[in-house]
Amino acid sequence: MPDIETPLIAEVYDQLQRAMAANPAGFTELYRDYLADAWQTLQTLREAVRQHHREEICATAHYLKSSSLVLGARRVARHATMLEETARKSDIEEEVALERIAHALREVQDELAVRLGGAVIPAGRTAA
Amino acid sequence: MAATLIRVLIADDHPVVRVGLRNMLQADPAIKVVGEARDGVEALELARSLRPDILLLDLAMPNVAGMDALREMTGGNLETRTIVLTGLIDKRQVLEALQLGARGVVLKDAVVEHLSACIRAVMQGQYWLEGRPVQNLVQVLRDLTAQTAPPPRRTYGLTGRELEVVALITEGCTNKDIAKTFGISEETVKRHLTNIFNKLGVGNRLELALFALNHNVLPAAEEK
Repeated sequence: MPDIETPLIAEVYDQLQRAMAANPAGFTELYRDYLADAWQTLQTLREAVRQHHREEICATAHYLKSSSLVLGARRVARHATMLEETARKSDIEEEVALERIAHALREVQDELAVRLGGAVIPAGRTAA
Repeated sequence: MAATLIRVLIADDHPVVRVGLRNMLQADPAIKVVGEARDGVEALELARSLRPDILLLDLAMPNVAGMDALREMTGGNLETRTIVLTGLIDKRQVLEALQLGARGVVLKDAVVEHLSACIRAVMQGQYWLEGRPVQNLVQVLRDLTAQTAPPPRRTYGLTGRELEVVALITEGCTNKDIAKTFGISEETVKRHLTNIFNKLGVGNRLELALFALNHNVLPAAEEK
């Protein structure tokens, strides 16, 4: 099936931005916190996959899915869901799922950088 | 006189989600976020102490999971109405949440779009499911119950005794064990097995066990 989702769901982003119109700095901070937390969570996932800690993979992937869904990063959420399901089935596709999450997260970050400027990029990360 | 604000408690283990929800809800002049909980235990404590009108409850939280917190809430004589936040629609989970007293279910990727409307609907005494208020909860529960019922058990033409033999085979019993259990000879067990193999098209005990488990060819619990 072709991947027709955009990295960031515009409707979610726009509505959230409207809801936080009185606090634009807080809006940028929210997405920066999301990116920082998501990259950190991805690192935790890589370590859990390396050590074959399936329960931790499931819990951490679920955690990443949660914030990604609320903030409109649906593609990241979808790949996190796939990783969660893969870990539950004791499959061997976890490395592939991890790379898909990383790719989707980079896309979200790049799109946010275009929309909000470099301030949204967490410390230690660089824009594309 | 100013309208009474809807007092909301947010319970989600993810800080970014809590901040996002808080900011979004605070933009609604009719809603006031009175507290935030990071896990199920904190959600219960804050629900009891703050007595919010609405509890937004994530189902997947550490310590006490959301569903267990909901169960506690139901037995806690609180007037707080709970809206469940979930990552995906699992009909079995939705049914369980409604049976435990949840008044609404909102998908996490739809909170920005639906949450305020859901909170208002629930405050007006309605239920909220699949992005809209529910007019007939009884019908919804009936439909969900039908959709989540286990598939009908198939017997593949096996007799009651043959099904019982299959159940023991899946438990790893030998012919001798089976003969002893039913008070029959091992020869009779072998005849049963031959008939079972022929009816199911399997060639050995392992294939039989796998077929039985994969195709739900076991006596119903109450028949055992």
